[in-house]
Amino acid sequence: MLNKIWAALIITSILFALGQDIYDEVYNTHQNGVIQTIPIVQSDSSTNQLTLIIGQQEIIATLITDEQVKLLLTEHSPLLLREIASAHGNSNSLLATIISRESRHIELLFPALHWAKLRAITQSAFDMAEFAAKLALGLIGIMALWLGLMRISEKSGLIHIMVMLVQPVLRWLFPNIPKDHPAFASISMNMAANILGLGNAATPLGIKAMQQLQKLNHKRDSASDEMCMFLALNTSSVQLLPPVTLIALMGTQTSELIIPIILATSCSTITAIIVAKLYASKGAKNATTD
Amino acid sequence: MQQLTSLIIPLLILFIIGHALTKRVAVYEEFVEGARDGFKIAVNIIPYLVAMLFAIAMFRASGALEILVTLLSPIAELFGFPAEVIPMGIIRPLTGSGSVGVLAELISVHGEDSMIVRIAAVMFGSTETTLYVLAVYFGAVKITRTRYAIQAGLMADFAGFIAAISVSYWYFT
Repeated sequence: MLNKIWAALIITSILFALGQDIYDEVYNTHQNGVIQTIPIVQSDSSTNQLTLIIGQQEIIATLITDEQVKLLLTEHSPLLLREIASAHGNSNSLLATIISRESRHIELLFPALHWAKLRAITQSAFDMAEFAAKLALGLIGIMALWLGLMRISEKSGLIHIMVMLVQPVLRWLFPNIPKDHPAFASISMNMAANILGLGNAATPLGIKAMQQLQKLNHKRDSASDEMCMFLALNTSSVQLLPPVTLIALMGTQTSELIIPIILATSCSTITAIIVAKLYASKGAKNATTD
Repeated sequence: MQQLTSLIIPLLILFIIGHALTKRVAVYEEFVEGARDGFKIAVNIIPYLVAMLFAIAMFRASGALEILVTLLSPIAELFGFPAEVIPMGIIRPLTGSGSVGVLAELISVHGEDSMIVRIAAVMFGSTETTLYVLAVYFGAVKITRTRYAIQAGLMADFAGFIAAISVSYWYFT
């Protein structure tokens, strides 16, 4: 299933980008080779600067030679110009060729833009690959901190006390974890961190739980029922407090969202448990008939 | 409540260390021993995360999402909920930063107290970035065959999507 989703993401994006680019080529949506007549609202001969109107926006342009002009772009500039500029490596300025120039008008030819979408997806693939590695490496410190604290709690017997407390509840969800196993403690701490919205603590504790589940797993590269259940619980996000990013975006409005969020997240968590349990029992049945 | 959560972690650390001291555990040595794994795990995660995130980034940049939304909007009409919330439902399991972007855009277009933004915010708050969590957790223990984990995760996301819409309508009207 994951293989299919992954391949589908990549193939759809490439095919879609290709289709879009072919459409753009056929209908020349980027107006390649089309000479644009642009009104000049102001010209300053001492600084060689012109103020042009493109798409109802004023754009400052500097004459470099008699044949070339450099347009300074801002985030309000027309999208097409920004696309052409970023395809040529500099998103803040764009060089255009002057065809003719009068006092009130200038005729410009912008650089051609081909295969814009394909370039864009390639660029974001590269950028994201780099970002993914940074993101993973950024986990080192916080991982180390929680793993260190967990090790202390194992040695002091605190983990054992926690296991005793949460075991009765978690045994139903994770029937194959042996009695009194420390994995119960990591799982419950991960869930507690999720419920309280402590994302920084939840991930390392969840990984710790995964490691303990992996030790109980018979097939090294294949997820056990326990792992699938644990992952489903995590992706459905058991939480009572709204995430910090939501508070940042919505401000005080967030408080009236708390109850709907708790209700919706309960639905998704219950669904996760039911689906994981159904798959697990189906798997068990297949195993006995084999 | 927010103040309470900022107290939890320092108190927990205090409790862990304090309890260990009463049991005569060599706290510093044991901490370092445990922390040693941090680097190894982070490095383990890299290939899984690269695989997942680059595919999602390409999908987002290709603009295929817009087409998907156009294809799905008749369903929204059929069930009587705003089609504007569909991008959130699709993007939420894929990327965290992407869904923040979608939500921020909806807020700027429709305003904070519109039904569209409320539904999208409830969706945002009630589910996790399924594919990211999967890559990180399974990557850390080098699991490549994920069996039914993705199905369970996505089904839960779908249930969260439906629940977010119906709960919001029930709660806010």
